[in-house]
Amino acid sequence: MESFVLVSPGLETRYVSRAALLGRDYRGVNFELLCEQGDEVKAGAAVMRDLRRPEISFSAPVAGRVSRIERGARRKLISLQIDVDDSQAVAKFEPPANNDGVSIRNFMLESGAWSSLRTRPFGNIPDPAGKPMAVFVTALDAEPLAPDSRTIINTYLQEFCAGVTALAGINDAPLYVCHAQDHGLEFEDSGRIRCVTFNGGYSAGLPGVHINALCPIGLGGGEVWHIGYQDVIALGHLLLHGKPWLQRIISLGGNAVRNPRSLAVYPGSTIGELLANEVNDGPSQILAGSSVYGRQIAPGSAYLGAGQRQVTVLGVSASDSVDKTAATNNAVIPSEALEKLILPGIFPVPLMRALQLGDAERARELGALELVEEDVMPLSGACVSRSDYASLLRDVLDRLEAAR
Amino acid sequence: MNFLLLNSGNGRQRMLQLQLLALLPVSIAALVNTGYQYLATLAQNSTLSTDDFRGRLARGLGASHESLGLFDMLAAGFAHLAPILALALLVGGFWERIISERRQTPMQPGFILVALLFTLLLPGAAAFGHVVFGMSFAMLVGRGIFGGDGKTFLNPALLGIAIVQVSFPSVADQHPLWNGLAGYAGSDAIAVYHRGGEAALSAIDIDLWSAFVGSTSGTMGTTSVIAVLLGAALLLIERLIAWRLLIAQILGLLVFATLFNLLGTGAGASAMPAYWHLLLGSFAFGAVFLACDPVASACTNPGRWIQGFLIAALVVLIRVANPTHPDAVIPALLLASILAPLIDHLVIAWNIRGRLRRHV
Repeated sequence: MESFVLVSPGLETRYVSRAALLGRDYRGVNFELLCEQGDEVKAGAAVMRDLRRPEISFSAPVAGRVSRIERGARRKLISLQIDVDDSQAVAKFEPPANNDGVSIRNFMLESGAWSSLRTRPFGNIPDPAGKPMAVFVTALDAEPLAPDSRTIINTYLQEFCAGVTALAGINDAPLYVCHAQDHGLEFEDSGRIRCVTFNGGYSAGLPGVHINALCPIGLGGGEVWHIGYQDVIALGHLLLHGKPWLQRIISLGGNAVRNPRSLAVYPGSTIGELLANEVNDGPSQILAGSSVYGRQIAPGSAYLGAGQRQVTVLGVSASDSVDKTAATNNAVIPSEALEKLILPGIFPVPLMRALQLGDAERARELGALELVEEDVMPLSGACVSRSDYASLLRDVLDRLEAAR
Repeated sequence: MNFLLLNSGNGRQRMLQLQLLALLPVSIAALVNTGYQYLATLAQNSTLSTDDFRGRLARGLGASHESLGLFDMLAAGFAHLAPILALALLVGGFWERIISERRQTPMQPGFILVALLFTLLLPGAAAFGHVVFGMSFAMLVGRGIFGGDGKTFLNPALLGIAIVQVSFPSVADQHPLWNGLAGYAGSDAIAVYHRGGEAALSAIDIDLWSAFVGSTSGTMGTTSVIAVLLGAALLLIERLIAWRLLIAQILGLLVFATLFNLLGTGAGASAMPAYWHLLLGSFAFGAVFLACDPVASACTNPGRWIQGFLIAALVVLIRVANPTHPDAVIPALLLASILAPLIDHLVIAWNIRGRLRRHV
């Protein structure tokens, strides 16, 4: 029996006692549980699947005992929590014998790797039979205090390349590997796999920016897929070694963190344990993601989300938190500071007004289909109205998707 | 100043503080220059009567009519600026109080900015009745009916000044009281240029430098281009105003003024070179503090370029074609501001068309 340990060269590993799958990370999915509370599960084994599209399965991030299945309003799954047990085995997968698209798709579905793909528009898990116009591999991190994507990809270069090659095989669309400057990634199948360099500000690492530059979403109903580099490494790991890559590399940063650094952790680790003895005393706020695109989370019950590569802890003064609730005037003041906070070609102020009004059709015309929550996070921070554009955008996208 | 803390979130309050801070150099220049104009006129013509409210206030503050020291200028300037500002604040606060009570919302401190802008756009001896009228119009029609700060579609101060100029044309042109002196027949510098060209300017000792520094006659806050530049620098650095709109106005003014120089009749304002267009009158002030009001201007970048060129074209055109508005900045800004939503609408329609054409 293979033991279950984290090994990542040159990185500190941090073990936690609990990890979880979060329902919020997979929007539009009705989960069908394949396990019950108290069951022992193998790491990487399927624990849930999509009720509507049963081919799509979700695998356990760690091995252990299912300790809690948390449900919210209308029995919507909030989290499936697993208490880590190192003695448990790791699920094995047989890599596909031949490399045709159908075999790879089936392998991805069976192993749970499919659930790390996302569509744009809407940010869903793509349909197993779907035909994207392009596939994007986000191979860089440009946000403040992000982990060093170059080092991570180079450390796991074999797995990364295997993952990219497999992804290029699942359909006929071009596959863009969007990487940092001077990374020097090269692939043999250069006809389908196109390496594109992105540099610039914090937004250079957003899939929305890559898609906007290379295959912009219009109003024609097409879609593109994207996936993060760590999920590609995980896919390559499955293909090369037949077992899941049971770690994610995250960075711990922010002015309230005592020792900012990158850590190798279990996917879905509980953030409370990750931050134990890491944070300065005093009031602070915890962000899932960076200080620019991150989302504020409650400290007690939070877990690393799918694709999350950063935990940022910022010290706050008492007055900051008061001010946020004090705004009563929701008018947008279209100052120059709002420009460049959103994808090129989208006018921020008209979009913000459409979102505030909940005018889904107008927001669609103005480019809301190109966006997901993370793309509008900076607008909420810069706008004097303190509107939460991320949740306003989500409402609009939900309505647009329902009307499709 | 408790009401400053009553309403807004941090960002909105900081924005207002920045806008007021940006108006500080202009306000100081207004104090000094208004006093200087008053005292200089008196020095030239000692028969003018100073026995009115402002003259008595200036004397009471210790301004000597015989000398042109800095203190004398400040005191005389204060005697002109402070009563108007105090009255504008009083009227603005009064209406804000009424509106907030009717709406059961906290008072919004934006009326302070409206009052200051409105004051700086008036001549030093504006009638108090005009102040009450214009400020009331600004607060009610320009601001109140739209829902207050950030929800207006015209700059309230601009609207207030425009209604005063339209209702009392003597304010806009050949105002007999630039300096509060009964019997004084001077006029603002740009009107002087209209009548006599550059020769008339040099006859009253106005050169490029004095127009740049602002020791010319005109509405109180608008004469000093250098003070306007200081405020503009702050607003640009803090990314409050759109640089595209500002650059478009200046470029547009250069282009259209040169165009009229080449094609015009060679008399009056059509022969006015671009640098006089920039330096005289309230163009610089209006371009920075009124046209670039983020709430009342185009909110898309292409729209900002278009609006900027439109303002410049209108300023030059009205200056050349309509001698009843020698300064032309207020009507031009008002027209362009009214057109801003239409410009945005067209720009957005064009943007949507581009999105429709994509094949994805």
